[in-house]
Amino acid sequence: MKVIRAAALGAAALVFCATGAARGATPERVTVTGEIIDTWCYVTEIMYAEGTAHHQCAVWCAVGGIPVSVLGEDGNVYVVLRVEGDATSVNNPKLLTIQSHSVTVDGDLYQRDGVNYLIVSQVADDNGVVNLTHEDYGIQPFGN
Amino acid sequence: MKIWIIAATAAALFAGPALAADEWGIEYEEKARFDATVVDILCELSGDCPENCGGGKRQLGLLKDDGTLILPAKNQDIFAGAANDLLPFCGRKITADGLLIKDPKATLFVLQFKRLAPDGEWSRATWFVRDWAEQRGLDRKSQEAKNWFRGDEQVKALIEADGVYGIPGLKPEE
Repeated sequence: MKVIRAAALGAAALVFCATGAARGATPERVTVTGEIIDTWCYVTEIMYAEGTAHHQCAVWCAVGGIPVSVLGEDGNVYVVLRVEGDATSVNNPKLLTIQSHSVTVDGDLYQRDGVNYLIVSQVADDNGVVNLTHEDYGIQPFGN
Repeated sequence: MKIWIIAATAAALFAGPALAADEWGIEYEEKARFDATVVDILCELSGDCPENCGGGKRQLGLLKDDGTLILPAKNQDIFAGAANDLLPFCGRKITADGLLIKDPKATLFVLQFKRLAPDGEWSRATWFVRDWAEQRGLDRKSQEAKNWFRGDEQVKALIEADGVYGIPGLKPEE
């Protein structure tokens, strides 16, 4: 009986360890400079999804729970999962107030199955909205 | 250009009532139906795992048996994500039906229908507007609910503060 119980405990420990190993891969520490964007509209190119032209839509989408990203100067899209200790990534109040802003952030990068996920530890620099795309694209979508 | 934008927006943001994935005409899209467990993505990646997948405040993912993690970025409601549709299934395996967009910029999934695997009842991925309307005592099929993004209190406060361009004081020409 003792042997069976020990074996069961051993098996449970193995399962626990295996689960623990699957969760919590080692991230890469990064600094990213870029624009806070609406991930869906930018990736799908449904409309022009950068800067002032898309700001209102970006707010709608972020409130609606669409993932918010940093569009890095390197061209990469970094989906934000956490900001400065707040693990909210659906309708995050901080991300709402800096939507379309040009920022520099420090964080941990996880790359998984075609997506860059970023855990932002600090928004080190916030230059506000500087990408004046409305001069060329008006308001996207729906116009003025 | 403007006509294309409006057509593409309408196609992508308003989906038809069919029970299998509708194509939205997005580059790199492919219809996809698969079984996967609903997971809290932050938990899956970092080991930070609160109860109930974060209670609706976190992006939820679809973890396939082969270890592939899918990011559902959109449901079928206009301007809304899929968290409301997935949260009730936290930790459970569902069959997800929608569009997988393998764009080089990021791989995203549009959740169009879901059911508890293997043979639960299908439901449309439209629970953001359902919940938004319910919280305000509105009919989910009302115009206010359909245009939730214009009436939402948070949105109105943000646009009033920063303007449609995100720059306080900068306004469109009349």
